[in-house]
Amino acid sequence: MKVLVYSSFTFSYLNRARVLFQSLRRFHPDWETVALITDEPPPGFVFDPASEPFDRVVWAKDLGIEAFRGWLFRHDVVEVCTAVKGPFLHQVCEAGVADIAIYLDPDTALFAPLDPLVEMLQHNDILLTPHLIDPNDDRAAILDNDLSASRTGIFNLGFVAIRTTGEGARFARWWNDRLLAFCYDDIPSGLFVDQKWCDHVPALFDRVKVVRDPGYNVASWNLSKRKVAITRDGEILVNGATLRFWHFTKLGPTGDVMTKRYAGDNFEVYEVWRWYKEAVGAATDPAIPERWWAHGQFDDGTPIAKPQRVLYRERTDLQAAFPDPFAGGYQAWWKAEGPGRNG
Amino acid sequence: MGQGDAPERKRRALATAFDPVFYRTVYDDIARVGADPFRHYVETGWREGRDPAPWFSVLAYLERHPEAGGDDPFAHYLLRGWSEGCEPSPSRHRERFLERIGGPRRPASAEPVPPALEPVLPSPEPVLPDPEPEIPEPLASLPSLPSVPVASDPDLPAGLTREAARALIAADFDPAFYLSAYPDIAAAGQDPLEHYLLAGRWEGRDPRPGFKAADYLEVNPDVAASGVDPFLHWLVAGRSEGRPLRFELGFRGRIVAGLAPLEARMAAAARAAADISADRPRGLAPLSAASQAAGLHVTFSHDDFTKRIGGVQLCLQAESKGLVRRGIDHLHVFPAVPWPTLRPAGSRAALGLVWNGRTLGHFAVGDILKALRKRRAGARTTLAVHSLLGHEIGEVLDILAAAGARRGLFWLHDFAGLCAGYHLMRDEARDCGAPPAGSAACRVCVFGPGRDLHLSAHRRLFEALDLTLVAPSQAALDTWSAASDAPVAAAVQVHPHARLVPSGRFAEAVEGPLTVAFLGMPSAYKGWPVFTDLAERFRDDPRYRFVRLGSAAAPGAPADHIEVSVTADNPHAMREALDSARVDVAILWSLCRETFSFAAYEAAAAGAAILTGPDSGNIAAFTRTGGHGLVLADEASLFAQFESGTVQSLSRKVRRPEICEIEYSGMSVDLLEALS
Repeated sequence: MKVLVYSSFTFSYLNRARVLFQSLRRFHPDWETVALITDEPPPGFVFDPASEPFDRVVWAKDLGIEAFRGWLFRHDVVEVCTAVKGPFLHQVCEAGVADIAIYLDPDTALFAPLDPLVEMLQHNDILLTPHLIDPNDDRAAILDNDLSASRTGIFNLGFVAIRTTGEGARFARWWNDRLLAFCYDDIPSGLFVDQKWCDHVPALFDRVKVVRDPGYNVASWNLSKRKVAITRDGEILVNGATLRFWHFTKLGPTGDVMTKRYAGDNFEVYEVWRWYKEAVGAATDPAIPERWWAHGQFDDGTPIAKPQRVLYRERTDLQAAFPDPFAGGYQAWWKAEGPGRNG
Repeated sequence: MGQGDAPERKRRALATAFDPVFYRTVYDDIARVGADPFRHYVETGWREGRDPAPWFSVLAYLERHPEAGGDDPFAHYLLRGWSEGCEPSPSRHRERFLERIGGPRRPASAEPVPPALEPVLPSPEPVLPDPEPEIPEPLASLPSLPSVPVASDPDLPAGLTREAARALIAADFDPAFYLSAYPDIAAAGQDPLEHYLLAGRWEGRDPRPGFKAADYLEVNPDVAASGVDPFLHWLVAGRSEGRPLRFELGFRGRIVAGLAPLEARMAAAARAAADISADRPRGLAPLSAASQAAGLHVTFSHDDFTKRIGGVQLCLQAESKGLVRRGIDHLHVFPAVPWPTLRPAGSRAALGLVWNGRTLGHFAVGDILKALRKRRAGARTTLAVHSLLGHEIGEVLDILAAAGARRGLFWLHDFAGLCAGYHLMRDEARDCGAPPAGSAACRVCVFGPGRDLHLSAHRRLFEALDLTLVAPSQAALDTWSAASDAPVAAAVQVHPHARLVPSGRFAEAVEGPLTVAFLGMPSAYKGWPVFTDLAERFRDDPRYRFVRLGSAAAPGAPADHIEVSVTADNPHAMREALDSARVDVAILWSLCRETFSFAAYEAAAAGAAILTGPDSGNIAAFTRTGGHGLVLADEASLFAQFESGTVQSLSRKVRRPEICEIEYSGMSVDLLEALS
């Protein structure tokens, strides 16, 4: 059973991705690992894929997405890094290069083998992990977690695993189609990048398994209902189940506050986070500027504002007039005739 | 905003966080027309891109969080955004506002600000006209109105005068705590309340026990963002709103938060070691000189046992004296600077030497080897390893080979043979039980990266030498045996450092509160946080009196300090102090597996009952087998004992324990004969 695992990121998340892929190699050295990158290396940073802890790199620009530059411009960094997940997964299915394909966010890390997922995929074609597997009772936790999941998606798409045939392949094609056209952070319109779409999955596809094992996709949004323990045998348990992977969302003060709010005196949670911060620190290359993203700016270096992307996204006439909006034309139009004319 | 956001909740949130003084100060057209700032902001201001507070930029927030579009971004942030991790940016008018109200509101440095530089609270100031009106078309046609006086200080909650604020703070401020916690204020002779009001509160100093400004701001990010004095906020609003004072992480969570990476600790030790230059080799002459001694005994530990005091040092002092009495030369080798782990191969560091109880200095290992090789061969040579911390295993074996020593003792004073975390405390927070080296627990532990170094070095040590493993307790030996893969030869021995000898004298019955003591260094792994939590909880309970017996005072501790210094000349000081203080109960809540624990013997000898937890190694074993007290299941059980008062059954009055003498063993000397 050939398994392929991929993660989608930019160079500012390379440190996290390194930690993820290192953890994958520890437990699954025989699985193929792919870095799906929507970015270009920053000046001064020498990117040598051969020395990275993944097997190969796929550049988003090589996915064959039609009118790629214009499509790319329509998305901010989160939107585009989630949007490319669908096309790649679909192409893995089409190419038949693996029996099982797993997506993991770059800010996840494994603590135990994922073999049970492979076993689940003997009887299912699609595996999803919900943000919550137990309802919250506390009002603040409901506001923070339950309602957040209601807005952004029942399932967390930091993880999805499929068989590359059957319903898995059908899901990949559907996800590809939707994400190419509708992968935006636009909650009022019913969209939240690639994630909200997957609320439909149990309705649209057969052979779907909702993984309700608390050892998968542990994150600040579900810590209110998950208790972490570390045994004298050396195992890390979550509500008594083996911790398989953790989702270290929001590395930094904001994430710390959310973690403290829900972990409380469950100090083992801070132990896991302490390790992760140290590991990411060790994997960080100072040559990569913080928040680096090559496509966050016009070709002349001017930062691209979100409204400039949104207007381009909404106006097909602008897309037709400026097929490469990163070049000067669209920027000049924005200043002379667009909303930018008022300064 | 979600449909569930009730208008009243939104209004209250906005009213609380809105800063009318800021608004009037930076938008002088509002002041000039006499408009109510809050109403203006809610009705039109935010749509015009005006900012509601110095810490919040409407336009920056909208740009970063377009999902807030259509609603007031400030309301979005207060009701939802902050909890989702949205980060606000300060208003572009902030600096101008701060200048107008009298300069930065916080001292730039942590140094106290002299009173002359800043009044207790800034005086009310008139609103200054804005030279650059925010509105593109200022309402110039309206008549100019007199400036509106500021009702309160910008740092104050709305409607509170500075006099009222001062009175509120004064009522809950604890001057004795302040002076105890901040000795610099006491030393400067400053009035604690005045200092707190002037500078301390802006420097992050805490006004009373139980209120930590930094914790309050972390758990209440809206207060942090508002820039108000956190203590004042709590007094005025937070307390009645039931706001938490802190995230309740527990002491273990706090320990984990403060951990430095092992690599950084080792690098610091390596830097310190590099600063020590080796002495000239002529200082090594005693090692090579012709000797009439009956033999040579070489020992290794983590420090100079003649200079420091502690369990291992006491063992070595006894060992050294015993060797001198038997006419055997004693060479002790220790790292010149303390190391948190064994020293990795390839690192260079000078080694300290003690020769027959006299410190010779620090020397290069090459010089030590040369000196030892010159020594007359033939005399019987033995060895004892007490600790390899700071030692490089290759050097250790070279030194022993040069001295001609192969047979000897390996003392199990700690578990450095199993892990770099030689207390077996995962992340210094909890007993780990030495799980398999590749386990998930070891991978997350701060000591994980050093475990292989320790395991492989000790394996090499046991492979190269003929060592007898000596454990000071069966409990220590059991832990080692379960986890070590070092090839220990058949020789394994339990040899306690001391034993109790009944005196025939019984403790006197004492009236009054139960005296509860902590013994020794107030360190986390000895259970100090558990003791302080207990003492805090019951500090006002007349049934109990809490004391700490140790050499140095612990500032701010909720227990009376009784000074005790155990030295080689006065090894019974702790037992005598326990006896004279009539201590009923010793809380020996070690979080790690003690391999022996002199403190447990001292407590029992003095007639104090021991209360300990399940992870305390030989303390638990000693307490259980000797009937010296209670081994409780967990910290909750400990608190329950005090809450219910059942702990009173351990008083001297009830128990009438027999006082004992402590008879110390000869340590290694007792065992050397067997080696010959």
